[in-house]
Order: sequence, then structure tokens, then C-alpha cells
Amino acid sequence: MIDKIFFNFTRLSALLILVIVAWIFVVLFNHSLEAMNTFGLDFITRDEWAPNLDKFGAYAAILGSIISTTLAMLLAVPIAVGVAIFLSEIAHDKIKGFFGVSVELLAAIPSVIYGMWGLFYFVPIIRDIFGGLGIGLLAAGIVLAIMILPFMAAVTRDAMNTTPDILKESAYALGGTQWDVIKDIIIPYAKAGIIGSLILALGRAIGETMAVTFVMGNVHHVPGSILDPTTSIPVTLANEFTEADSSLYFSSLFGLALTLLIMSFVVIAVAKFYFLRKARRAS
Amino acid sequence: MASIIDIKEECALHVRDFEFTYKGSSAPSLKKVTMPIARHSITALIGPSGCGKTTLLRSFNRMHDLYPGNSYGGEIEFEGRNILTPKEDLIQLRTKIGMIFQKPTAFPMSIFDNVAYGMRLQGIKNKTELNDRVEKALKDAAIWKEVSDRLKHDANGLSGGQQQRLCIARAIAVEPEVLLFDEPTSALDPISTQGIEKLVIELKERVSIIIVTHNMQQAARVSDYTGFMYLGELIELGQTEELFVTPKEKLTQEYITGKFG
Amino acid sequence: MTAVQKRIVINKIALTLSTLSALIALAFLFWILGVLVMKGISALNWNIFIFEGAPPGYAESGLKHALVGQAILIGMATAIGVPLGILAGTYLSEYGKNSKLAHTIRDISDIMMSAPSIVIGAFVYAVVVIPMGHFSAWAGAIALGIIMIPVILRTTDDMLQLVPGELREAAFALGAPKYKVILSVVYRGAKAGILTGVLLGIARVGGETAPLLFTSFNDNFFTTDLNAAMPSLTVTIFNYATSPYEDWQQLGWAAAFILSMFILGLNILGRVILFAGKKGK
Ligand SMILES: Nc1ncnc2c1ncn2[C@@H]1O[C@H](COP(=O)(O)OP(=O)(O)OP(=O)(O)O)[C@@H](O)[C@H]1O
Ligand SMILES: [Mg+2]
Repeated sequence: MIDKIFFNFTRLSALLILVIVAWIFVVLFNHSLEAMNTFGLDFITRDEWAPNLDKFGAYAAILGSIISTTLAMLLAVPIAVGVAIFLSEIAHDKIKGFFGVSVELLAAIPSVIYGMWGLFYFVPIIRDIFGGLGIGLLAAGIVLAIMILPFMAAVTRDAMNTTPDILKESAYALGGTQWDVIKDIIIPYAKAGIIGSLILALGRAIGETMAVTFVMGNVHHVPGSILDPTTSIPVTLANEFTEADSSLYFSSLFGLALTLLIMSFVVIAVAKFYFLRKARRAS
Repeated sequence: MASIIDIKEECALHVRDFEFTYKGSSAPSLKKVTMPIARHSITALIGPSGCGKTTLLRSFNRMHDLYPGNSYGGEIEFEGRNILTPKEDLIQLRTKIGMIFQKPTAFPMSIFDNVAYGMRLQGIKNKTELNDRVEKALKDAAIWKEVSDRLKHDANGLSGGQQQRLCIARAIAVEPEVLLFDEPTSALDPISTQGIEKLVIELKERVSIIIVTHNMQQAARVSDYTGFMYLGELIELGQTEELFVTPKEKLTQEYITGKFG
Repeated sequence: MTAVQKRIVINKIALTLSTLSALIALAFLFWILGVLVMKGISALNWNIFIFEGAPPGYAESGLKHALVGQAILIGMATAIGVPLGILAGTYLSEYGKNSKLAHTIRDISDIMMSAPSIVIGAFVYAVVVIPMGHFSAWAGAIALGIIMIPVILRTTDDMLQLVPGELREAAFALGAPKYKVILSVVYRGAKAGILTGVLLGIARVGGETAPLLFTSFNDNFFTTDLNAAMPSLTVTIFNYATSPYEDWQQLGWAAAFILSMFILGLNILGRVILFAGKKGK
């Protein structure tokens, strides 16, 4: 009797996850219907976001999301891979331990703090070097890169560490150098895991809000250069959700949220269910 | 005391008063090991688990150096020099002293690239030379017939026994002087084991071989000399037949008659 | 230069570059940490804990409202997320095991763990804030609770699976019903792991800003009314840091410092508990 009740409680809680996820999709979809019906495909292809005219095209926000995350990936991937190589192959045990723990702790620092630091310390530097406002895609890309770096490095290192020692030793036994072993054995062996880790970090970067909201600018315009302020989906949501004053405006914001959710869901699913699962099966 | 045969023929390696201590251990894992290794013959190392066979084997190509903090003592002479000095060129040393591991270790690349790997590391780029030497190595490792039509395939598609022969081909392709085998058949079925044993015997024409094995029959079948190790010491080294029929040490006798271990 | 020499040089270069990237990363991270500590500590004083928010320029302004609000929000989120997460994790590990349903739930929950938190905020806005007609602590806590569930679920599932099967069998052999076995044997065996999961879950939502922006919103004054907008450290950081007022920015740094120490502390505590638990076995 109690057994049954307990079982049902646990099962309901587990099913609740599925319910919530489905519910999120349904709610976001329903609320964005008005925008979709009004604008159709224009919603994602038009670069006009004019609340005063009740015209909403999300092109600039979508583009801003894509460019800022691409920029962040371009900056973070080489460094994260370098850090991962350092942590798994170069550093001695003590440094490995210290460095490894600091990286994991830094990955836990709230993103709002990265954003605040970016605004007060990094934006002025960009302003000094390149002129302009300092706020914009470049600042957003850099702050985002720094923010995802610890996570990215930690998961990439974990992927590299799955390479069996005996495989590495076999290459050393043929006269390979450390770098030979890294590029010919570890990277090919852990390829799926490494790519999966990088894409997973990308998935997080797409949805990251606070680190970029401080430094992006929230200007609904396709930027002329990466130094220009622009916006992205999370930045728009963060800045405008509480200001929306018409139902179409709200619906458009929900449309943005749905777009963001789908983008990150797809990216994360590809990382987890294609690459990381393949990596797990291989090892 | 240990009873070590005096080898009359030419020696490939000479271990003298060798000691080895793992990082963080208080006691050495190998104690005062002195052991000549005859050239172009097969020397087997036997002994109970944990006696130091692998540790000794991995000292010949300084594999232990991959993990900082381990320390060597005494000397191992190879080509007229002590290879334990800090100035020893490990890349050079490892191309002359090859190693085959307990489990097959096919690299994540094609069969051809696996065998060509060591040669490419040495800078051999010439296509025809590579092709010829890969073919020869695969033939010498008795696996050519099975793979000649799929050299471009991923090496991980091969069976365990095939992969182990591939690893042997990879090791002999760089024409080493010495080959170290650490229980090369422990992960294989009896048929593959037979194939590897046959191959090892053929190889001694050209290389000096040291093989660690848990299997005394295997040592008896393939080796010319056998060393028996116990608790980090070399107890006895003799001609294989003599060691198994008329061991000089009581410990050896007890071990080969199955009294312990 | 022979091929081998060339390889040795390339090796040196590659290893140097990789070490360099590690140093660059470390430099940036310590820069951020350094700024946080310097700015944060210099902005700390007792007033922060005594006074609530005030208009810019007031000497008697502090963060009491945000600290209390944050504690309330996290407490409520924990009350929502932890039981649900533990129960769901229990289902996966003890009942669902390798069934298709269990795997689907694990997969979906894994994706949820990395999903954009601002979207959760939008969802809660739609299902809680709109029907209620106003922002509330409830809405914020629900958003954080939803974010917490997958984290707790995952660690509970993992940790319960680590409990050896013989322990369960021994208890069953004594005739205990399954729920008793789970409650008294399995949970006890995984105690340290579950506690660590809870701490990491709290740390995870403690730093969340985005899902609070339009659920609990913010308030510059002290309140314990769960049916009204509720201040939080994170949103306060955002508002104060983006304001043009120097003294508000100072308070923002102080809030950032307190928040970071809280979250790092939880992370370290979680690790220590897990480590001690492992050692004890
Ligand atoms: N990495 C290591 N660090 C510390 N001690 C080690 C390490 N590897 C091996 N040892 C110790 O050194 C001793 C010799 O080990 P070794 O692996 O050489 O034995 P073995 O004869 O090859 O045994 P087996 O037949 O089981 O392979 C053992 O006591 C072992 O515990
Ligand atoms: Mg061994």
C-alpha cells in the first residue's frame, strides 16, 4: 500500500519533467501564435523591430545571437583546447589538481558577474583601442568567450582523458613526441567527445543572457561592424519583457523565446545525442 | 643468492645492479637486478603477479619516464652505453627498442597508416618506400594476406588477434634491434596465441626479443632463455630447458612445479 | 634539420602554445576574480546588512532587502526543486532503471540542464505572472525550482546507482518492503552524494539572474510578501551595475562579491562532503 503510493510519487515526479518540457513548448508556441500569424516568415527575416509601430522582425536579434556566439566560439575554442591539452598532458599532478579545481570553480561563478566585469573593465579597453562605444558584438563575443571558457576547457579535458594510457604509450614506444601523441592519437581518438563538448558549450553560450546583456547594447539593427552595438535574442528578452505594452509585442517576445529554445535544444541535442553518445559508445 | 647464467654469445642488453623505484613508494620495486640479454634470441620473464616483470620490461625503453617521479639506479647497457643517463635520446632509443603491449593498441587510423606511423615519425615520406616497407612489415607479421585488400580501412575493425599482429607489424616496420613483449597473448584466444608465438620465433632471426608471460608453457615453447623473478629480484636466469628441467634455485623449483603463485 | 629534430622543435612550440593558452585563461580568470574581490571587499561595510535599498545619494542604503529576498527565493526554490528532483531521481534509479521511459526522462532532463534559463523565465511569466496579474516571489521561486530539478535529478540518479545492489538485497532478504529499503538503506548509502547534489543545485540557481527578471522582478525595499515582487541579489546587481550612480555601482560590487562567495562556498562544501563520504567508505 505505502509501497504503491511511494512508487507513484516517484513516477509522477519523474514524469513531471516531461510534462514541464512539453508544457514550456506549448506555452511559448501559443503565446507566439499572434506574432507568427501577423508576420509569418517575416518574423525571422525582417530587420525591423519597431514597438511604436507594432512591427516586429527578429532578424537583427537572431543574427546578433549567431554572430556573438560564433565570435565567442572562435576565441574560446583554441584557448579551451590549449587549456585542455595543458591539463591532461602537460601539467604535473599538483598543478593539474590546483588548475583543475580553479577551472571548475570559475565555471560556477554567476554569469551576471562576468557581464558586470565586462562592462566596467573590458568595454573601456575596447573603446580605447577601437574607438566608438566599446559596447557591441566584439565586447559581447569576448565576454561570452571568457565566460564559457572554464566549462569548455573542463569538458574538453574530460573528453581527452578518455584516451587509454596504453594507446598513448604505444605511440611513445614508436618514438613519438608529446605533440605527436596529442595530434595523432588523443585528438583522433577523442574526436567525438571533444566536438561534443565544444558544441555543448556552444549550446550554453547561445542561451547565455547576463554575460552579454551588459555589453551588447540592445539596439535593433543589423550591425555594420562587430564594434557596433546590436542585440541578441536573450538580450532583447532581458531588456524588453517588462516593457512590452501591446499583445503583439508580447507575442513577438514569446516568439523570440521559442526561437531561442529551439536553437539551443537542437544544438544541445546534437552535442549530447550524436557526439557525446558516440564517444561514450567508443570507450 | 641468485643464479645467473653467463651468456657466451653476444648480448643485446646488459642489466647491471638495476634498481627501480616508483614515485611515492618507499621500497624499490626492482632490487639489484643483473641480467644479460642474448642477441637475436628470445628471453622470457616469468614470475608471480606483482614480481616486477612489467616494471623491468618498461625500463628498457624508458617508458617509466612518461610519469614523472620514478627513479632508476644501476645501469642498462645497450650499444655500448648506459641508457639510464639523463642525456639519453629517448626518441632514438624507442625506435631501436620497440614494444608490444598486453592488449592490442591499434591507433585510430587506417591499417596502412598504423604500420607507416613509426616510419613517418622518422621522416620517411617517399610513397613507394612507405608502400614497400608497410607491405614487408605486414608480411613479416603474417597478416598481409588478411588485410592487403583493405589497407585503407580503419584498423579498429580488425579482430583482436589481427590487431595484435598489426601492432607487431607496426613495431617491426621501423626495424628495431630489440622488441619487448608484455604478455602479448593474454587478451587473445588460443588460435591467435599460436599465431603470435610462431611469429615471435620467426622474428628472432632479426631482433632480440624479451617476452613477459604468465604462462610457463608459453615460455617453454618460445624462449631460449628464461628469467624467474620474485618480489622484485631476478632469482634465476638460465637456458629455458635447463631452468624448467633442472632449476638451480629452490624458489624456481617451487614456482614451476606450481607450489605457489 | 632531420625529420626527428623538426618534430622536436614542433613539439616544443606546440607545448609552449598550449601552456601559454592556459596562462592566458588563468590570467583572465584571475583578473575577474581579483576585481571582484578588491571591488567587493572595499565596498563591504555593516550598513549593507542593516539597511535596505535607497535612492542614489543616500548614505543609509544597503542590501538587506536583496539578501533576505535572495534567501527567501532560494529557500522556496529548494523546497520545490529538491523533493521533486530526489523523487524523480529515485524513480530513475530504483524503478525505471534501463527502461525506455527512464532513458527518455534522463535525456530530456539532461537537455533541460543546459537550456537557456531566460526561457524558463518567459514560461513562468506566462503561466504564473499573467494569471496572477503581477510579479511575485512565487513566480521567481517556481522558475528557479524548475531549473533546479534536472540538476538534483541527475545527481540523485547517479548517486543511488552507486549504492551496491547487495545492500538492497540484504534488506529485501529481511522482508522489508521496497519503499522502506529505499528510504532506510539506499538513501542512507547515498547520503553524501545526494547532499552534494542539493548543494550544487542551490549553487546553480543561486547565481541565476535571467529567470528572475520577469518573474520575481525586483524591489528596492525590504519585503517578505510572497505575493509581491521580491528583490534578489542577482537582479539587484544587474540594476545597480547598469545604473549611472557611483554609490549604486559600489553596492553592486558588494552584492557580486557576497553572491560569489556564497556560490563558491557551496561548491567547495559540496566537493568536500563528497570527498569525505568517499574516504569514509
Ligand atoms: N605505477 C605504479 N606505482 C607504484 N607501484 C607500482 C606501479 N606499477 C606497479 N607497481 C608495483 O610494482 C611491483 C611490480 O609490478 P609489475 O607491474 O612490474 O608486476 P608484474 O610482474 O608485471 O605483475 P603482473 O604479472 O601482474 O603483470 C608491484 O608490487 C606493483 O604493485
Ligand atoms: Mg605485468
